[in-house]
Amino acid sequence: MRAVVLCGLVLAIAAAPAQAQWERVRDSSLKWSRDGTPNLLAPPPRVNGKPDLSGVWAADGEPLPPGIESIEGDLHFPRHMINIAADIPPEAVPLQPWAAELLQKRAGVESPSAFCKPTGVPGVNAIVLPYKIVQTPRLLLVLYEENTVFRQIFLDGRKPVENPEPRYMGYSTGRWEGDELVVDTVALTKDSWLDGMGHPHSEQLHVIERFRRPVAGHLEIETVIDDPGAYTARLTYTVKATLVPEDDLLEYFCSENEKDSAHYR
Amino acid sequence: MSRTALASVLGLALFLATLPTQAHHSFSAQFDAAKPLKMTGTVTSVEWQNPHSWFYLDVKDETGAVTNWGFELASPNLLLRKGWTRTTLEVGDVVTVEGFHAHDDSNTANARVIVLASTGKTLLGGSSQGSTP
Repeated sequence: MRAVVLCGLVLAIAAAPAQAQWERVRDSSLKWSRDGTPNLLAPPPRVNGKPDLSGVWAADGEPLPPGIESIEGDLHFPRHMINIAADIPPEAVPLQPWAAELLQKRAGVESPSAFCKPTGVPGVNAIVLPYKIVQTPRLLLVLYEENTVFRQIFLDGRKPVENPEPRYMGYSTGRWEGDELVVDTVALTKDSWLDGMGHPHSEQLHVIERFRRPVAGHLEIETVIDDPGAYTARLTYTVKATLVPEDDLLEYFCSENEKDSAHYR
Repeated sequence: MSRTALASVLGLALFLATLPTQAHHSFSAQFDAAKPLKMTGTVTSVEWQNPHSWFYLDVKDETGAVTNWGFELASPNLLLRKGWTRTTLEVGDVVTVEGFHAHDDSNTANARVIVLASTGKTLLGGSSQGSTP
């Protein structure tokens, strides 16, 4: 059922009409049939002996639970945007007591993104707005549409930064293990929430992301929350995304016309 | 169901009620699903900007008094991807809008259905802002 929903979302995006105002260019790394359909299940493109993760990606979404409204109507939302622990029972989430208490306090509170703060790593991989990966041998760039921000993942063998200054996107270094790109990120500000529910973290947070492109049209980011400051054990979840083969990023500055926050109840 | 499990479910419901949506605020922060409204008026301005597009309508009541209402939409990025452009809705258009009123009873609402009077064309349909004009 979930696969049907996700395929529907992909088709809905792919079927957007051609009169939109920006240039729609086909991803040339894909094989396209004569009727204009990309083969999303083909083997992934490769470069320098590794899968090429480059492309425009959108996290897979699913309908909101009944009775929950969104500004955008029945738009679908990635489950881990809502809750990074969506795949395990609530009582199994390994929160330290202070973090559990903070999570409860955030119930009914608008998230930082409602005030135009960046979502930050790792939550930004699982929101509705797409992102673009640009892969080079020594650097992976991730361009996120949300707030038009960049993220650098250094592949040049450097060590994680010492004495990090906490930031929303952190400091990321990566290495290839077979066909998986393993990325370590530290220096993440505790001001960010890990999801829309408000799962907190400390500044000891170490995020491990394993990027996989099993087929041309799908990306998986297995994400490990390794945070001995807020959790009693590691928490793992996998964000799945689908290639958006005829789209590109658009500018998005939240502060452009933010006038809602003055009216939040 | 145990008390702990029940509390977890109730807690989750409360969290869900305030979910941020497209990288911005939740529906319930500003609007009330129990306050549906429907009105017809003339577009006075359109703000085709992030994080949300807005348009404003002059609405005349039965006494002839005119009130200006603001309607919030999705971001222009989402609307563009669904086929809108910044001229899909223009100043002077007469439209009928269905949506949900703001909690604070200001003259603002979340638009869900927009029908253009001149053509009968539905610019937004059903509960989704994802429908194509």
